[in-house]
Amino acid sequence: MVFIEVKDLVKEYKLNIRNKGLLGSIKSLLIPEYQLKRAVDSISFSIERGQTVGFIGPNGAGKSSTVKMMTGILVPTSGSISIGGLSPYKDRKKNTSRIGVVFGQRTQLWWDLPVIDTYELLKYVYKIPEKIYKSNLEMFSEMLGLQEFIKQPVRQLSLGQKMKADIAAALLHDPEIIFFDEPTIGLDVIAKEKIREFIKQINKEKGTTMLFTTHDMVDIERTCQRMIIIDKGMKIYDGSVEEIKNKYGKDRILAVEFSQHYEKINIPGVELIEEKGNKKWFKFAKDKTQVSDIIHLLTQKYGILDLTVQEPEIDGIIREIYQGGINLHESLSRVC
Amino acid sequence: MREYKLTELLVIFYKYSKISLKTTLEYKFDRMLMAFAIFCREMISVVIMLLILTRFLHIKGWELNELFFLYSFLFLSYSLFVFLFAGIRDFDGMVHSGEFDRFMTRPLGLLFQIIASRIDLPATLGHGIVGIILFMNTAFSVGIQWNLSNIVYYIVALIGGAIIQASVFMLSSCFSFWTLKTENLRNLIFFNARRVAGYPISFYPGIIQKLLIFVVPFSFVNYFPAQFFLRKDETYLFWSGYMYLTPAVGIVMFILVYLFWKIGVRNYSSSGNSLY
Amino acid sequence: MRVYLEFAKKSFQNNMVYRMDYFAGVINAIVMIFVNISIWKAIYEEEEILEGVQFKILATYIVLSFLMQIVYMMDEYFIEAKVRSGLISSDLLKPIYFRLYVFSYHAGTMIFKLVMQFAPAIILSIFLFKLLPPFSTVMMVCFLLSAALGYLVLYNLNFIVWISSFWFYWTFSLVTIKDAAVMIFSGALIPLWFMPQGLVNFIKLTPFDSIFYTPIRIYLGMVPADEMVSSIIRQVVWVIVLFGIGQVLWKLGTKKLVVQGG
Repeated sequence: MVFIEVKDLVKEYKLNIRNKGLLGSIKSLLIPEYQLKRAVDSISFSIERGQTVGFIGPNGAGKSSTVKMMTGILVPTSGSISIGGLSPYKDRKKNTSRIGVVFGQRTQLWWDLPVIDTYELLKYVYKIPEKIYKSNLEMFSEMLGLQEFIKQPVRQLSLGQKMKADIAAALLHDPEIIFFDEPTIGLDVIAKEKIREFIKQINKEKGTTMLFTTHDMVDIERTCQRMIIIDKGMKIYDGSVEEIKNKYGKDRILAVEFSQHYEKINIPGVELIEEKGNKKWFKFAKDKTQVSDIIHLLTQKYGILDLTVQEPEIDGIIREIYQGGINLHESLSRVC
Repeated sequence: MREYKLTELLVIFYKYSKISLKTTLEYKFDRMLMAFAIFCREMISVVIMLLILTRFLHIKGWELNELFFLYSFLFLSYSLFVFLFAGIRDFDGMVHSGEFDRFMTRPLGLLFQIIASRIDLPATLGHGIVGIILFMNTAFSVGIQWNLSNIVYYIVALIGGAIIQASVFMLSSCFSFWTLKTENLRNLIFFNARRVAGYPISFYPGIIQKLLIFVVPFSFVNYFPAQFFLRKDETYLFWSGYMYLTPAVGIVMFILVYLFWKIGVRNYSSSGNSLY
Repeated sequence: MRVYLEFAKKSFQNNMVYRMDYFAGVINAIVMIFVNISIWKAIYEEEEILEGVQFKILATYIVLSFLMQIVYMMDEYFIEAKVRSGLISSDLLKPIYFRLYVFSYHAGTMIFKLVMQFAPAIILSIFLFKLLPPFSTVMMVCFLLSAALGYLVLYNLNFIVWISSFWFYWTFSLVTIKDAAVMIFSGALIPLWFMPQGLVNFIKLTPFDSIFYTPIRIYLGMVPADEMVSSIIRQVVWVIVLFGIGQVLWKLGTKKLVVQGG
C-alpha cells in the first residue's frame, strides 16, 4: 500500500549573487542581483508503509530540501506530496502529530535541563496518553540505556548520549513515520552500531516507516531496504542497496599473505594494487576472472599463508557515481 | 488527531513557562547581573533627562516629574511585552538556529510555540524596575486622581502599548522568512524610536510626530495615554480622540502584521546548516 | 604587517554583506541627530544663549557626537565569540600577534564606517543641520588627532571588558554596563558643561571625557591654546594606561587558557 506519494516535486531558491573584489562588493551592496536556483528538480517516488528508505547524495544535491518539504518545513515550488492522504504543509498540524524528526546536528532537547524535562514537555505537546508515555519510555530506556543519564542536564551529555536521547524524544509519541537527518554524524563506532540496532528494532516492532538522509553508507547498508540517490536536484537511482552493489561493485580485492617475498607475480586479469612486506593486494573483475582460478594458480606457484576476498565498499561505488565514473542515467534507466 | 482544547493549550503554556523558569534559575547569578545591566542601559536616557532638567527645570512647560511619568509608560509596557512575548523578539534567532524548523514539525500553532518557548526575566525586570521607579516617583505628584476609571484606563493603555510593541517586533521578524537579517535594523529602529518617544512628541518637528503616530506608533504607547492624565496645555495640537485609541491601534496593527506573517510562513525557506 | 592589512581588508569587505544594516545605520544616524537637535531646540526655546553657548554651536556638538558614535561602534563580542567557540586556541597558535589581529579587524570596520557611513552622513549634515566648520585649520588638525586618540581610548577601554570573556565567557552584562557609563560620562549625549560641577570633577578623573568631549571641544575651538597640549597628553596617557591594563589582563588570560587547554 502506498503511504507516501511524491510527484514532480520542485523547489527553487532565490540566491543573492555576490560580486568578487572590493568594487564588486560595493556594487552588490548597492544593487543586489538574484539568481534562481533549482534545488529539487521534479522528483517523484512513492514509499510503502513500514519501508526504510535512505536518501543519499552529495552536499547541495537537494536531499535536505526534499525531506524538509516532506516534513512540512518548506512549501514546494510545484509538485505534490501526500503522506497518508495529507499534505505536509497544508495540513501541517495534523500531519506533524504522526511524524517524528531527528536532526543529527540540532537537538530538540532543552540544553540546560535534564533530558526527562524535555520528555515531560513533549508528553503534553503531543498529547501522549500517560500509559503509552510510560511504556515507551521504559522500552527506550531498556534498549538505549537512557536511565544512565536521563536526569543529567543535556549540556553534560556525550554526543552519543545526546543522540540517543534525541531519537527517543522523536519516538515518544509513536509516530507513523520518522525522519532521520544524519542520525549518526560525529559518533563513535559503538554508539553508531547501537543506534542502528535500535532503529532496526523499532522498525520491526512498531512498523514505523523510516526515512534517512546520511553521508554514512554503513547507516544505509545496515538499516535501509531501499536507497534513493539524488544529485543536482534529480533522482538518479532508486532501488535496493544490494542491487547497486551487484551491478557496479564488479571489482573484488584479493588480499594474500605469502610465506616469503616474491618479486613479481604474474596472473592474467589480475592487477597488483598494494604491497606491504609479504602481503599483497590484487584487484580483479569478478565477471571476467573466476576467483577460484586465481587461487588455484597462486597456490600452485607460491607459498601462501593467508588469503581473503574483499567485496567493494558501497562508499567507493557511491563516490564513483558522484564523480561521474558510473553513469547511472544510461545504465540504470530500466531501474528507475 | 483532534484539535487542542483551550485548557490543554494553557497546560502546555504553563509547562513551557515552568521549564523556562527552571533554565533561568540554573544561572541565577548571571541572569541577575543581566537584569542589572539592562537596568543600567535603560537608565542612560533617564539620567540624561534628569541632568538636563536639573539644569533647566522645565522644557516647553514640561517638568521633570511629568516627563518621567510620560516615560514610565514605555518601560512598563515594554516590560509587560517582553514578559509575555519574548519569543517574538527572539524570532530571528530561532530561524537562524533551526529552532523554528523544529516548531514546524510539531502539531501546535507556530505563534503559540514561539511565544510559549521564551520568557526573558532579566529584560522583564530590567525594564520593569526602571518603569516602577519612574511611576512610583511621579504617579502621585502630577495631580492624578487614581479612581477606578483612571486605573482601568491605565491598565488598558499598558496592555495596548505592549501589543503595539509586539507588533513592531513581529513585523521585523517576518522578514526572516525571506532570509533577511533584520535584527540589527529592528533593534536600531525600535530602541531609538523608543528613546525618541521618551520626550513629548510636541518637542519634535511635524514629520517626526507623524512617524510616531502613523508609522512606528509609539505615541500611543506613552504620549497620548500620559496626556489623558496630564492634560498639558498643548492638547489642542492633536485630535483628542487619539487619547482613547491605544488598544484599537494595538489590535489593528497586530491583525495586519499577522496577515503579513501568514504570507511569510508560506515563503519560508529554511536555512539551517544544509540549505539544499 | 601585510597580513594585518589583509585582516583589515577582509573586515572592511565583511561589512558590505549586510546591506540592510548599512542603510539603516546611515538613516538612523540622521534621524537621531534630527531628534536630539529638536530636543535641544525645545530647551533653547526661551533663551538664545545657555552657559555662554549659542544654539548653533550646541547643534554642531550633537551632530559631531552622533557621527563619531557611528565610527566608534565596535563589534563588542568578537573576542567572546572566539573564546566560546574555542577558535581562540587555534588563533593563538598562528604566527600572528593576536592583539594586533583584533585591532586590524576593528580598524577595517572603522574605516568602512568612516568611508561608507560617516562621509555621506557628514555631507548631509552640512546641509540639513547647518554644521559649523571647524574653528580653524589648526583646530581641524588637532581635532583629527584628538578624535583618533579618542577612538584608541575607547578601543582600549573596550578591550579590557572584552578580555574578561576569558574568565566569564558571557560578557553581555559587563559590555552593557560599560556602554551605559560611556554614554553618560563621555559627553556623547549631553555636553559636560551642562552637568553639575561635582559630576564633572568626578568625570575628569576618568578616561570617559577623552573619548567624545575632548575632540569635539577642540573642533569647536573651545579649548584655549595653552590647554590644547595638556588635553591631548591626557588622552595619550589614558591610551597608554588602558593599553597597559589590557596587556596585563591579556597575559593573565592567555596563561589561564594555556593551563586549562581552552
